[in-house]
Amino acid sequence: MKKPSIYAAALLLSVSASAEEAVIEGNVLSKCIINTDVNGVYGNPSPDKLSTATSDGGVQSVIRYDVALADSYIARVITPTSFSTSPVLNDVVYWDGSTSVGEVSDATMSAYDTNKVTYEATTEFDLTVAGSTWFNVTSVAEYGYNRALPGGTYRAIVQAECIAK
Amino acid sequence: MRNLCFIIGMLLTANSLGAHELTPTYPKFKPSYVGGLASTEMTMFNARKDVEFYQLGVFDAEWNPVPFASSEKLLHVPHATRSTFDVFIRDEDLRRAVYICTLSKLRSDIPSNAIISSKICSRTDGTR
Repeated sequence: MKKPSIYAAALLLSVSASAEEAVIEGNVLSKCIINTDVNGVYGNPSPDKLSTATSDGGVQSVIRYDVALADSYIARVITPTSFSTSPVLNDVVYWDGSTSVGEVSDATMSAYDTNKVTYEATTEFDLTVAGSTWFNVTSVAEYGYNRALPGGTYRAIVQAECIAK
Repeated sequence: MRNLCFIIGMLLTANSLGAHELTPTYPKFKPSYVGGLASTEMTMFNARKDVEFYQLGVFDAEWNPVPFASSEKLLHVPHATRSTFDVFIRDEDLRRAVYICTLSKLRSDIPSNAIISSKICSRTDGTR
């Protein structure tokens, strides 16, 4: 009785050993990866204002750019200028936004903030160093002139672009 | 301070919602099996849990759309998968086409209220 059970156990072990083979695949190429680390959350510090700023009770959006090849990409972050979802709004919404460098994997990347180009709602960063850069995005929406925002769900979209240059 | 940065980095990585990747950075067009068309092969990797569809687009240097063909213009790339696709452009448009881009298409039911849309563009006219 003992021998057949040993053979059975050996057979089972050999089968499970072959079944546990796993293939890990990866590519090493020049590339840009956009990581959406944190989707933001709007805080509502006053009846007429929504803001992702920490001081306003919101959560900033955090986007990480990983670049494998230096000086090949431009990072472009566009802050919202309209809601993608909202209740009916009868007055204008004033939008403001900013993008700044947060964490960096290489100390020389801290120059990105100094050299950034901002126009309208867009901020451009020339990714001159290979590695990872975290960008913090703040968005603020103020409704009319001291008018309370109607109750409901509000959503807005931050666009993160990585353009080969 | 270093420890604090490391901890913040780890926390951010742990909270990562995922990544969007498009390769190669500088694709080269070659004559295709269809006369009058040139093609190039692109690969997209989707690690974003909140996105499954990506819109493919070809643009000139001024961001005007350039006509192109592909098996799908709205790519279905489920989470943690890679998709390889060919982009076909008419020979006459070849000199005009500069950017090949993929743009994430967001669902309306994403729970967050400041949502991030991602767009990556490769450049077909090579490095500057």
